[in-house]
Amino acid sequence: MYNVAEVNAEECVAQKGCRLCIMYCPEANCIQMDTTKMVATIVESRCKGCELCVVVCDAAKHNAIKMVAR
Amino acid sequence: MGKKIQINKEFVDIMPQDYLDLVDNGTYESPNRGWKDFGTATELIAEHSLCAGCPESIAFRHIMASIPNPEDTVMVGSTGCTSLVFPMIAVHNIHSLFGNQNAIATGLKRALAVRFPDRVKDVIVLAGDGATVDIGLDMTLQSWFRKERFTTICFDNELYANTGGQESGLMQKGFLAKMAPVGKKFEKVRLPEIARESGCDYVAIMTASKPSLVEKVIKQAVLIAREVGPTYIQIYTPCILEIGKQSMEGLQEMRTSEAPGERFKFREFISPEAQSFLDGLAEKKKAEKLAATGATS
Repeated sequence: MYNVAEVNAEECVAQKGCRLCIMYCPEANCIQMDTTKMVATIVESRCKGCELCVVVCDAAKHNAIKMVAR
Repeated sequence: MGKKIQINKEFVDIMPQDYLDLVDNGTYESPNRGWKDFGTATELIAEHSLCAGCPESIAFRHIMASIPNPEDTVMVGSTGCTSLVFPMIAVHNIHSLFGNQNAIATGLKRALAVRFPDRVKDVIVLAGDGATVDIGLDMTLQSWFRKERFTTICFDNELYANTGGQESGLMQKGFLAKMAPVGKKFEKVRLPEIARESGCDYVAIMTASKPSLVEKVIKQAVLIAREVGPTYIQIYTPCILEIGKQSMEGLQEMRTSEAPGERFKFREFISPEAQSFLDGLAEKKKAEKLAATGATS
């Protein structure tokens, strides 16, 4: 079992200009911006499951990312 | 003039997808590179082997997004966790012997000036605190004394993290590490102050917790190194394993260490020559902006 991040598209506020998870993810090209739907999307094969995105998202009270088992 | 970074047409069908993405969607030759490219453009770093949540990889991402012209930059690395990342970056780079990085960068900068007299070539040294302060202090200082024009970036994690946590010169006084159980008896080496006195024209000490600040500092440092003199940046990239933190706690650790009065509170030193150079750049930018708005209105 391996934990990866998952974005809840309804809670994600990327269209308001939020880029917190993309900014602080330690992995390159791991959290991508879906420019048509304006939500952050996780490239699961690159996610190491560190939960930093969850921490910054929760700290900003958006609560849009949670860890899921794969 | 065509694009500097392009693929030979005969190789397009056999190149890996990551490579094609870099050429088509990378940020080479983009005049306003920065952390704002994250998420939409392909980054110049990929699939590194650092630990999950490593703050060093956050700093690495911010730096790779900020260097002003990656297509004409050569980075010099040294032994340590950074040498695990250098094979995964899409900028020319050289691995040096442990501690030799500033000596190699010196020769490289001079050779590039002879080989490409009509092109601007940046050299950036990126090494850990062991390579910069302990083992390579001689080379680091001598390159500053000679006013060699390149940027030295030190990833300061305050110990030898790659080999299990031995004491380093930049470790804080009294700190206990896994392989330094007695605790450090001396103060943390004040390398930013030493750099200032040794002839660096721009010195900054910071953490990687604010991408906009990292971007500003890196751009200033590289541009000053190009025109004025040596520059030095010390970035706190804590090793979460060695200080006993969880993978998601690295960011908070950096934020705590840059609070007022703490050892990594943002400080920068700009020499008068560098300041007048920066002022000139700002004025030029302002004039360009004015001309652009005048043209559209």
